[in-house]
Amino acid sequence: MDIQETQRLLSECLHELANLFHRLPGSAIFLRYVKSSYQNDPIRSAVELFLFLFAVRYLLAPKYSTKPGVVQLSEDEIDDLVDEWTPEPLVGNPTALEEMEVDKRTVIVGPVGPKSKLANGRTVVNLGSFNFYNFNTNESLKEKAIQTLRNYGVGPCGPRGFYGTQDVHMKTEADVASFLGTASCIIYSQAFSTISSVIPAFSKRGDIIVADKGVNFAIRKGIQISRSMVRWYEHNDMEDLERVLAKVTKEQARKPLTRRFIITEGLFESYGDMVNLPKIIELKLKYKFRLILDESWSFGVLGRTGRGVTEHQNVDAAEVDMIVGSLAGPLIAGGGFCAGSEEIVHHQRISAAAYTFSAALPALLSTTASATINILQNSPETVSQLREHTKSLWAQLDPRSDWVYCTSAPENPIMILVLKPEVVAAKRLSIEDQQFLLQDIVDECLTNGVLISRLKTLEDNFEPKQLVPPALKVCVTTGLTKKEIEKAGTTIRHAITKVLSKKK
Amino acid sequence: MPRWNRRKKSQAKNEIANSTQSTASSDNPQILQSTAIASLRAVSGNSPDLSKPDTPSPAQLRQLAKQHAEFGPLRDPSHLHTSEHPGGEIPDPVLDEPPYFIALTTYISFLVLIFLGHFHDYFAKWFRSHTYRHLRPQNGYASLYSDFESFYTRRLKQRINDCFERPTTGVPGRYITLLDQTSDDKLHFQLTGTTTDTLNLSSYNYLGFAQSEGPCSDCAEETIRRDGISMAGSCGDTGTSKLHVEVENQVARFVGKESSIVFSMGFVTNATIFPAIMGRGCLILSDELNHASIRFGARLSGAAIQVFAHNNMADLEKRLREAISQGQPRTHRPWKKILVTVEGLFSMEGTMCNLPRILELKRRYKFHLFVDEAHSIGAVGPHGRGVCDYFKVNPAEVDILMGTFTKSFGANGGYVAADKAIIDKVRCTNAGQIFGEAPAPSVLAQIYSSLRLIADEDPLHPGQGLERVQRLAFNSRYLRLGLKRLGFIVYGHDDSPIVPLMLYNPAKMPAFSHEMLRRKISVVVVTYPATPLELSRARFCVSAAHTKDDLDHILRVCDEIGDALELKYSTGIAGGLREPLSRDVSKGGKKAIEPPRWSIEEVIERGTRDAKLPLY
Repeated sequence: MDIQETQRLLSECLHELANLFHRLPGSAIFLRYVKSSYQNDPIRSAVELFLFLFAVRYLLAPKYSTKPGVVQLSEDEIDDLVDEWTPEPLVGNPTALEEMEVDKRTVIVGPVGPKSKLANGRTVVNLGSFNFYNFNTNESLKEKAIQTLRNYGVGPCGPRGFYGTQDVHMKTEADVASFLGTASCIIYSQAFSTISSVIPAFSKRGDIIVADKGVNFAIRKGIQISRSMVRWYEHNDMEDLERVLAKVTKEQARKPLTRRFIITEGLFESYGDMVNLPKIIELKLKYKFRLILDESWSFGVLGRTGRGVTEHQNVDAAEVDMIVGSLAGPLIAGGGFCAGSEEIVHHQRISAAAYTFSAALPALLSTTASATINILQNSPETVSQLREHTKSLWAQLDPRSDWVYCTSAPENPIMILVLKPEVVAAKRLSIEDQQFLLQDIVDECLTNGVLISRLKTLEDNFEPKQLVPPALKVCVTTGLTKKEIEKAGTTIRHAITKVLSKKK
Repeated sequence: MPRWNRRKKSQAKNEIANSTQSTASSDNPQILQSTAIASLRAVSGNSPDLSKPDTPSPAQLRQLAKQHAEFGPLRDPSHLHTSEHPGGEIPDPVLDEPPYFIALTTYISFLVLIFLGHFHDYFAKWFRSHTYRHLRPQNGYASLYSDFESFYTRRLKQRINDCFERPTTGVPGRYITLLDQTSDDKLHFQLTGTTTDTLNLSSYNYLGFAQSEGPCSDCAEETIRRDGISMAGSCGDTGTSKLHVEVENQVARFVGKESSIVFSMGFVTNATIFPAIMGRGCLILSDELNHASIRFGARLSGAAIQVFAHNNMADLEKRLREAISQGQPRTHRPWKKILVTVEGLFSMEGTMCNLPRILELKRRYKFHLFVDEAHSIGAVGPHGRGVCDYFKVNPAEVDILMGTFTKSFGANGGYVAADKAIIDKVRCTNAGQIFGEAPAPSVLAQIYSSLRLIADEDPLHPGQGLERVQRLAFNSRYLRLGLKRLGFIVYGHDDSPIVPLMLYNPAKMPAFSHEMLRRKISVVVVTYPATPLELSRARFCVSAAHTKDDLDHILRVCDEIGDALELKYSTGIAGGLREPLSRDVSKGGKKAIEPPRWSIEEVIERGTRDAKLPLY
């Protein structure tokens, strides 16, 4: 075999290969691509070939974890680590305060009324329950509840979406809406869960919330779970609110428009003071924010007929985008509600977690709410009498005590009594000391036949932390006469003096 | 306008119930007569009518009919069964699959629906722009929810809105009364003023305690008269009553724990318990199908959350090994504690957690265990005490047992049961206790009295609670077996009272719901987002209040509708066969099985006996 023979064979072979290649579908396109990309520039083709080879290598490469910092361990090593690991117990040791709380749990026997019997057999004046109008011992309301019980049973045995919507729920929704003067209303089966579910139903990641620093725990949880951007303003400080709103508007001016909310309370749970609603409405309209107002403590209390802070400060309820309230306190039913436009209510029926994933409100509580709203609506004297009583109790406590002052609004039947700053400073009291002292006062009141409670707070994991000053909580009820109220007020005052003057 | 006049309605209801009763009596006159008189005796007690029991007055008959519409009488003692695990690890349920054609048409249907929805949106935005105003920013306000976010509810769910949120009235017992409604746009519904009595397969009334008469309602009434309607406060303040403390002790005793706390809402129980026990540096390992409330609570706790495949113990173990060996991300510090969170009975699948295997893992890996018994408490186990009872496991091995009173007890609220040290701590650190309203006295009374019956602590009604538990166990197995034999694909474990019947095609959901409603049965249909997109289903919730005749009626109707809608997809691998699968067939030869398509007569004839044997 000489060299020519080899050459001939080679060229034949190449020819055959070229033929085969041409017969392959798509080969023409490939050739055209190579020719056009070559453009008399071999480096260019080399780069492309390199890229091609890299892609092949990448696709064939073994999979690797994208989690950073995973340490490769053998099975034996993992077993050793498992043996070594000792988890912490589920809960830590109780603090002294917690032990005391469990010890001193108040247990009521029989009905919650102006005077309640306790488990230790004593009957005391009850200034600890939210039974402001003493509806709880109202015989006709009881009869109505029993009638409902005999028609509907107790539980509705299902969430609202799955046959848990009863006609009584629809009626209560209509009643609350017409009482407040909003287009629509939705009821939840617990007041505490309402606002923490309403907020994340509307405010999502990327939306903006401007909230009062003193809002209650449920609102904080709602804001936390919504994962929205949140800006806080000083408690009840309208100038600071305006500053924050202006700042947010300026920051966001060039960004796409997102939902913006102001969240505050009507009567604050932890301080008892009242919001300045007309000013907030003015600011919200100016800066184009929506307002979520938690009226859990003002609904059924403020205003001529108990419609809440909107009635009290002469604001049209329709101006507030969402009014959230409670049917569980003075209305002695159960559950909470959110009132607003039809669109707002409808959206919650699909996307509010505590509504869609929870059983409906028991029918008898729903009819009770309708009935008590009806009473409030038709007899404004009920509400004015409460205000009279509040005034009498207030007169006994706030101006006459050297030790405490009341942070509540004068119309608020829940009086929040805080130690005066000079007392705290003089006696150098830490927060915990104050809690123990206040508990001593509560015990002293109980010994003298008056039941009151301490304002309960809970530390949470949401930044910035909230620091609510320790306080006593005294609730007025119209079930007592003016004289009895005044006497109870004196008892509380004396108890405060006795305990605090003893403390060095 | 809705008819708020309750008196009139309850009269109407009595009449309807009466007519239902009369149709039932034509089926089986003798039996009915005897139970009628027996329960009449029970009702009237020492009334003078006892002397001539053969002629009950019309008023008494009406009362009896109402009772039976809430809770059907037991027709035969053979319709009882004990819900009990035979021992060992629980086998994973076999998941049957429909032919590929069905899967394909399901996907195509969704594609068509989505396409039509966008088509509709596109043109409506041009021609009927006022209906879209709320989805666009207007005068400086962003829309409350975006066009894209709400697409599914606007264009897909809204088509079948009439299958959800059907308003009802009266007791959600054996029968439930629906308020009829009409709609032009499937968004706004108008009540027509008429009502329909339907057989209730939709409420979580497992033990049939949704009643307006009987010992529980009597107890509730007495409590309202004595204690009023509300506690007007939270448990943290002064809202704790003596009854509340009694219920807490009773619950602890019932589930076999030292101590418990009671809440007024089940959702809040889960939403607040996790932040009270877990925090930064802790890990929550959660089943992927856990309820929304668990996810809500876990997110609030600040702990890291990992999800493992539903009921997949191998996956759980893999994740445990990884978590313990790798520690926290980046820092590699060991986790402070790991909490594995499962549900006893999963509400959409009807599956039970594999508790024996989880406890084996717990002994090895030392994690803490949280079992949510929202659906399983009362509903499974020989004594109705939940999954621990069912698997014969010592409850002390589970750290935290949580449950609700909404389902089996006909009340509302939830509980958490654990060691006393844990409960005492949680009492002071749990937001639901400190801020949430205390349960109403009437609700507590319902829990108290129904728990007394189930635990057989009520000397006046001995054995009544146990009978309910056993009726539920029989009813669940009977219906499940019947549906399997008819050829339906049914998910879940044999003893679960939740029976999901698979529908797959989205269009079959409203069709099934409407056909059932036409035949006076109310059912729940579920689809995305509660289930994966292609696994739409109807969910039957069996109750102890149902009689065997009710179940036979349901089977007949399902047979009929199943043929009309072509729902019988079963291949037989998940059960319903004529003979138990021999081992070699179950391993490989799938083709050798003949799909079960029994006739309805045969199903009913053999059902009572076969439902008590191991199901195959």
